[in-house]
Amino acid sequence: MNGGPILLVEDNPDDVLFTVRAFEKNKMQNEVVVAGDGEEALSYLLPPGGEPGLVPSLVLLDVKLPKIDGLEVLRRIRSDPRTAALPVVVLTTSSEERDIVESYRLGANSFVRKPVVFNEFLDATNVLGVYWLLVNEPAPSWRGGEAQA
Amino acid sequence: MTDVRSTLVGQEQLMALLDNTSAVIYMRDTEGRYMVVNREYERLFGVQRENIVGLTDHDLFPKDVADAFRANDLMAISLGSPVRMEEIAPGDDGVRTYITVKFPLMDANGHPYAIAGISTEITERKRAEEEVRRLNEELELRVKQRTAELEASTKELDAFAYSVSHDLRAPLRSLAGFSEVLQEDYADKLDATGLRYLERIEANATRMAQMIDDLLNLSRATRVELRREHVDISATAREVLADLADAHPDRTVDAVVDDGLTTTGDPDLIRLVFLNLLGNAWKFTAKRSDARIRVGNVAHEDGPVLAVSDNGAGFDMRYAAKLFDPFQRLHAATDFEGTGIGLAIVNRIVQRHGGVVWAASEPGDGATFYLRFEDLGEK
Repeated sequence: MNGGPILLVEDNPDDVLFTVRAFEKNKMQNEVVVAGDGEEALSYLLPPGGEPGLVPSLVLLDVKLPKIDGLEVLRRIRSDPRTAALPVVVLTTSSEERDIVESYRLGANSFVRKPVVFNEFLDATNVLGVYWLLVNEPAPSWRGGEAQA
Repeated sequence: MTDVRSTLVGQEQLMALLDNTSAVIYMRDTEGRYMVVNREYERLFGVQRENIVGLTDHDLFPKDVADAFRANDLMAISLGSPVRMEEIAPGDDGVRTYITVKFPLMDANGHPYAIAGISTEITERKRAEEEVRRLNEELELRVKQRTAELEASTKELDAFAYSVSHDLRAPLRSLAGFSEVLQEDYADKLDATGLRYLERIEANATRMAQMIDDLLNLSRATRVELRREHVDISATAREVLADLADAHPDRTVDAVVDDGLTTTGDPDLIRLVFLNLLGNAWKFTAKRSDARIRVGNVAHEDGPVLAVSDNGAGFDMRYAAKLFDPFQRLHAATDFEGTGIGLAIVNRIVQRHGGVVWAASEPGDGATFYLRFEDLGEK
């Protein structure tokens, strides 16, 4: 089990509320860290010069974000050795082909479109949580909850 | 016996021959001095042949024109054989263009002593050619402009669709989500009517999300670059029907797809056509226990066309023209659900394939959709 936090990169407060609610409903114990834009996400994951926060077990990444967009965040996560193997699920509103193609090209582990109906959203987060936090075996040095070297 | 001399032609007869042609004919010596011209030459340049003998082109024409004539004469002389060229000369109404053949005349020793020329006026043809060239240039320019405009508007549409897919769905998620939250967390504070209203909000948010998705599909069908590949329509239709059967295990539909239906086109878009047509056929036969769907070629006045037919609810032919417009629905939402965009997508895709689609129906007696792709049936 990966007990590290879930980093939720999301600028819409309603979506934050629904996602946190869905995790609670699905009885997921992991702490949820919210980053409201791409810049915040990067300063949490890859602080320039500073100490990085707790390594997340999973990153849920929205595409359309203020300042630095989700795809750019993904690109920087993959190009830095400290975060290159982090599981990143793009969780977004759009199902535009270019977003899907670009996400996978940049190394997203998964692409999930947020369903409009909350119950479907609940199912989707449950599947995501079960898979990425319970079933999936992460790369050893990125095991969630361990401090970074 | 025929007298040999009677077959010889005299100088007068030859001159008559030269004088009665519409071509301009002349002979000059190697120094460029006129020896003889025909009547057409006299008429054209307003001269008399007896006055012109001994003169050169430099006595008759502006220097640049005369220089050009002389240069062509010398070329034919130096080549020693007939030369064909285009020449221009001043006329009453501006410059005239001629196709000229010049050839040297040789003496017994093989030395050139004169140059003869036959010029045919091609000014009209030349002007017509020039006009065609100008029109082509203009057309090309206009095509370039239109293409640029089209590219700009496609780009705009692309940006618009992208924004729609991102920004318009998010508020719907909030509407549906908070309705759900209220139903779950505050159910004890609302009566049955209040809870029902919340369900209605959620249902409508969902419906609007579906409409946005359908609109995006329509715009995608317009925007994507068309591929031209061999498409196995029979296999595509069977796959779509199998998916429908999986999604509705409660339904029994007698669906038959003929073998060997093919076309050339974009496989993804053509799949979308059958997804919509067969989805409709599936939907509108829902109230029949003996639902039947057929896909196959049928005879039509201009040869075979592809037909997708069902024995479902059908529609009133008076509204057939509206059928392919976006958001036009011919059935109440309570009878058959839908956003009314499916056939607009079908129409757009078939049009992009250079084809046509039309429908025939009787209410209660099923509907048939006829398709003709540009390359339908070609392998």
